Amino acid sequence: MQEVKLVVSYDEYEDGIRMEKLIKDLAAKPEASSLESLVIGDWGQAYENSPDEFIGTLVESAPSFPSLKKLFIGDMGYEECEVSWIIQTNLTPLLGAFPELKSFSVMGSSGLSLEPLQHAKLEELIIICGGLPKDVLSSITHAELPELRKLELYLGVDNYGFNGSLEDVLPLLKQGLFPKLVYLGLKDSEIQDEIAKAAADAPILDQLEILDLSQGTLSDEGAEALLSSDRIKKLKHLDLSYHYMTNEMINRWNQSGISVDVSDQQQSDEDDWRYPSLTE
Amino acid sequence: MKESLHQPIDIPDPTRDQPLLLIGNPNNRRTQGLQEARNRLGLKPAVVLPYAQLLQNWRHGGTISDTVDSNLPVPLIRIDAPGEDWEVERELLFLGAMDDTTTLTDGMGAEAFSTEQALSLEQEWGRIYAPAQWFRGWRACLDRIGHEAREMWPEVRFMNDPSDIQLMFDKRQCQQHLSSHGVQIPPVLTSSQPIRSYTDLRMAMQSAGMNRVFVKLASGSGASGVVAYQVNPRTGDEVAVTTMGMELIQGKTIFFNEGRLRKYTRSKEIATLMNWLCAEGAQIERWMPKATLDQRAYDIRQLVAGGQAGHAIMRLSRTPITNLHLRNERMLPAEAGLDEQRMSLVRTEAQAAMSAFPNSWSAGIDVMLTSGSNPRAYVLDVNPFGDLLYRVEHHGLGTYEWEMELLRKEPIQHA
Repeated sequence: MQEVKLVVSYDEYEDGIRMEKLIKDLAAKPEASSLESLVIGDWGQAYENSPDEFIGTLVESAPSFPSLKKLFIGDMGYEECEVSWIIQTNLTPLLGAFPELKSFSVMGSSGLSLEPLQHAKLEELIIICGGLPKDVLSSITHAELPELRKLELYLGVDNYGFNGSLEDVLPLLKQGLFPKLVYLGLKDSEIQDEIAKAAADAPILDQLEILDLSQGTLSDEGAEALLSSDRIKKLKHLDLSYHYMTNEMINRWNQSGISVDVSDQQQSDEDDWRYPSLTE
Repeated sequence: MKESLHQPIDIPDPTRDQPLLLIGNPNNRRTQGLQEARNRLGLKPAVVLPYAQLLQNWRHGGTISDTVDSNLPVPLIRIDAPGEDWEVERELLFLGAMDDTTTLTDGMGAEAFSTEQALSLEQEWGRIYAPAQWFRGWRACLDRIGHEAREMWPEVRFMNDPSDIQLMFDKRQCQQHLSSHGVQIPPVLTSSQPIRSYTDLRMAMQSAGMNRVFVKLASGSGASGVVAYQVNPRTGDEVAVTTMGMELIQGKTIFFNEGRLRKYTRSKEIATLMNWLCAEGAQIERWMPKATLDQRAYDIRQLVAGGQAGHAIMRLSRTPITNLHLRNERMLPAEAGLDEQRMSLVRTEAQAAMSAFPNSWSAGIDVMLTSGSNPRAYVLDVNPFGDLLYRVEHHGLGTYEWEMELLRKEPIQHA
């Protein structure tokens, strides 16, 4: 697949080059018409500047990218910006501008809005952030995404924007919201045990192939509920990597016959705090 | 070249009549590595002058001439790292102890030991002892080596000049020196007033609009005393990532290298850390996004000797501190698939840095590349003892062998 990642490097930023220009330059190239995947990386001091400065340009340039299937807004590492500091914005216009899009990924949740979340062909939605605000969760639970097959949400921590509670996550465990969903990731959460307990016997498991509860604060408490669920046993795969389960619990998983990833065991810190992966 | 190593006798050895005097800590991996290399090349072993002995002699009123065999022909002197020897650390702290501090222009440092205290210090693992005082001692040691050696042998040559070593060792002065010689370095945080505290630092960052900085202990080695610090200009949140730990013992905060990464987010803790670093002397520069490979940021240690760029090692990390030893990976640029365009940028900038020190022959230059498709190279650090690199060859030779081979072919000409 043809993919391009656009990054405004430090030197370019200092030289006055902005993401808007990189997008225009790319749109003017002949290969734009066959481009399938576009990754927007660091747009320069993303803890201060929002994508507003280039979203309009990207929307206007949409006709130059008729083959685009994948779009990622904000793919950057800690060298560029802390995930929880990345400023996002209302990204809904992008979904309207790219009706053929199948995969949409976002990094960062500060200022993020996806209201209303509607797309006739989108199959994959991924939001990576330090903490997912409940209004974004609400947009997702009220979304119209009839083709959605994969939903991967980093729920994060209170400190970094997760201002909701289990109540705000529960609607995602109901059946029928996304009829074609086969991959559900509710991960990187500080309430990973609560989510695991709520998910363990949720009806939605009947349609899922993969449940991803990785990168959070899962301990034996949540694991116990999962392990005793018949619905969990029917999954093709369960991702619990990065967790705080005991060796004993890991052994039980290994003997369960379930396809499960229990790698990357964590230790609570001296004050017995458990941290999700992205907020460590 | 490799074949020639087995026939050293046939090769004229212009260094034969000039012994190598190695001032270092005997039996450590540096001294051993160098002696092994000389042995393999058929060169006479270096004459080792242990720091501990030299420093003790000084303390008892002696000079280098009391420590070295007076029949030794005029040597080439290699001053090696003084580190990893507790006896030597104490002697350097002793040498840096000052009863009268009124002449100091550079700040006393946050911590000080008297001459008596310095000699009786017990080692606590990882603790960073009074770095400003240590550095005063180290500078005095270098000055004295230069002075006494030239007195004893007016024709003496140094591989790296003692005053250059001082300059390279002080990250503040070194970066300024590089910049004035046209070498690319990360922008330094400047301020109308000296930055002596956390409050000064915050104000300077704000007025410069520099929200992400590295604060580095001016005289620190490796990851010691390095903090990646950032302030969110919108929210005021701050994060400091470092290997430094702090402990309050009997009302006094002591600082140490933990060997693992810590993340501080509370202002009070960050202030304690920064107040100490700024008081002890710190280089503060922009934290520029480094180029990444598989989501790991990297920089490159490029060895330059005799004007040539030799061994290069990539240091990769999932953290901002790339020179942390513990969890970081090292790779050869070729293994990592680093292209010639990038390596050429690195070599050019490293050689430019080295030429800013015409009286020095060898250094490990740490170079970063910026991210993006048009990277530029920036020099982060110049390490006068940067030739201790494992598992890397250049023209089939290890670092010490390569250097000794270069020396044999072309003896050092500078003063």
